[in-house]
Amino acid sequence: MARLLDVRNLETRFYTQDGVVHAVNGVSFHVDEGETLGIVGESGSGKSVTVLSIMRLIPSPPGKITNGEVIFEGRDLLKIDEEEMREVRGNRIAMIFQDPMTSLNPVLTIEQQITEALELHLGMNHQQARRRAIELLKMVGIPAAEQRIDNYPHQFSGGMRQRVMIAMGLACNPRLLIADEPTTALDVTIQAQIVELVKRLRDEIGMAIIWITHDLSLLAGLADRIIVMYAGQVVESAPTADIYRNPRHPYTIGLLQSIPRLDEKRRERLAPIEGLPPDLIDYPQGCPFAPRCRFAVERCFEEDPPLEKVGPEHEAACWVKPVGQEVLAAWRAAVLES
Amino acid sequence: MTKYVIRRLLWAIPVLFAVGTVTFFLARALPGGPFDFAGDRSLPESVVRNLERKYNLDWPLWKQFLAYWWDLLRGDLGPSFRSRSLTVNDIIKQTFPVSFQLGMLSLLLGLAIGLPAGIIAALNHNTWLDYTSSFIAILGVSIPNIVLGPFLIWLFGVKLGWLPVARWGADYTEFYLGFIPPMTAKFWRHAILPTITLGTALSASIARLTRASLLQVIREDYIRTARAKGLRERSIILGHALKNALIPVVTILGPLFAAVVTGSFITEQIFGINGLGRHFVQSVTNRDYPVIMGTALLYAVLLIIANLVVDVLYAWLDPRIRYE
Ligand SMILES: Nc1ncnc2c1ncn2[C@@H]1O[C@H](COP(=O)(O)OP(=O)(O)OP(=O)(O)O)[C@@H](O)[C@H]1O
Ligand SMILES: [Mg+2]
Repeated sequence: MARLLDVRNLETRFYTQDGVVHAVNGVSFHVDEGETLGIVGESGSGKSVTVLSIMRLIPSPPGKITNGEVIFEGRDLLKIDEEEMREVRGNRIAMIFQDPMTSLNPVLTIEQQITEALELHLGMNHQQARRRAIELLKMVGIPAAEQRIDNYPHQFSGGMRQRVMIAMGLACNPRLLIADEPTTALDVTIQAQIVELVKRLRDEIGMAIIWITHDLSLLAGLADRIIVMYAGQVVESAPTADIYRNPRHPYTIGLLQSIPRLDEKRRERLAPIEGLPPDLIDYPQGCPFAPRCRFAVERCFEEDPPLEKVGPEHEAACWVKPVGQEVLAAWRAAVLES
Repeated sequence: MTKYVIRRLLWAIPVLFAVGTVTFFLARALPGGPFDFAGDRSLPESVVRNLERKYNLDWPLWKQFLAYWWDLLRGDLGPSFRSRSLTVNDIIKQTFPVSFQLGMLSLLLGLAIGLPAGIIAALNHNTWLDYTSSFIAILGVSIPNIVLGPFLIWLFGVKLGWLPVARWGADYTEFYLGFIPPMTAKFWRHAILPTITLGTALSASIARLTRASLLQVIREDYIRTARAKGLRERSIILGHALKNALIPVVTILGPLFAAVVTGSFITEQIFGINGLGRHFVQSVTNRDYPVIMGTALLYAVLLIIANLVVDVLYAWLDPRIRYE
């Protein structure tokens, strides 16, 4: 499949009063046409800053993209001027955010908020834009769309607002939809509905998706590939099945051990990863995960491991590269015995 | 909404009664009385007695209180103890229109300069435009009218001789609907300097508040959403941020309006304007009870109306607010 997005060696810093925050440190990944890429990582690992850098929406000051390339549809988004970048935003790349309560403007109607992108990017007149907006609302499953379009955000429930956000994102048929934890703020049942909706729309429209989450289990039926981020770095990257079956980075193994598995007869005990992520202002020497890592050896504290190939499409940044398959099997057996 | 407005207006009745009651007793609790002095001399005991009898000040307090409300209900605010040829109704009728005009014009000037200045400063946050306008705003807030007024008089009145320096509204008292002035060149020539004097600080505080409020709103999630849509910075500010940012500005506009249209003592003194501001201040020093009562009640009425207008504006700005 054709390459849609290629992020190379991206580096973003925040120059704050307390010091320089190393939020994103040499992140590289790609997304193919129509592909769904999952990004997982715990809070503060740099997921949002990575995608906001792609959109060039980092608040500046204090933020600054200090290095890297973002090749989208053949050109480097970090090099084009602001005018050209605006034509990409909301048009070729759309973005939806975590909190649908605060991400919609409370004083504007849904119509105003959907139609403005249509008028701006597709040059529709108001009539056409309104018709298309109603169509979009129906597509994302808003009942009585003809009436609800004139409502304000506060008249919708959280799940419905996220549907509105999705309709807004899809308005101009983007080639890439970036979803930054779009279900984190929602109930579990609503979460599942939104995931199903996005899957259906992806298959209908054929856009690529970057789906950010800190919940690895959510990506199982959704993502083609997953990258795992830690302390502003990609620590593992693999097709979804490989991440679940045979993770090669201790952090990914730890994430899998902390997922509750409801399908098993006896619920495995959860094993959250002990310790805290590193201070991004005083960035550690060596592997940033080493202080929390069960497998760490001396070298881990001295040298930061690069991403290395461990399978056809599988990469991990670890000196030890434990075989996750075996580690997880042994762990499950131990849990079942106890 | 209509129901809400009616309910609010009905509520105004007990509020006004409370304001009137408190003012009535507070004024009388002040030491001294209205006839302690005439100019520099004190009046003979017998004259004071006579005057007190004339104005029923020898009655027990509760009786005076009831008599006051009885007159008030018939629209009579009573006589002025000081300007003995005038009633309080006369004073308000003669001085309030000019004060209202001055206040209104200053407020309009404040909005016309303050809003755009605040928006421009926020749009160009942390650039020389922002620093310059913020500096001017601080200057505007901190220059007292008692300095600015005489300076303007000296420059435009005395030095350049372009504009009259005093006696706005002295020649005519007839206004459309009681307060709208004739829009003649003469009126404007009189109005310009006092309006600038009173309006400068207003512009400056409105500009500062608008800027701060906009900068706050710009950090909201929905502004990021608007950016992610590819909108221009201008459409983001004017279409997405401004309506939200105006909510706190509108909040201060209510009390500001009431304060400013009831007369500015200093500005009116500087420009020799026969406005209400003077009566506000002097009625208290003179213990002129009916004038104290009249001005306080007028202020309360204006404040109630202004706050009601603000609340109606809120509902228009913010669809989450609905009154029933
Ligand atoms: N405006 C900012 N100023 C300073 N530091 C920032 C700013 N925005 C983000 N950061 C820092 O960048 C780092 C990465 O943050 P980011 O929001 O990308 O995390 P995340 O992986 O999206 O986490 P979450 O799951 O909580 O959304 C954090 O340490 C954060 O404190
Ligand atoms: Mg985030």
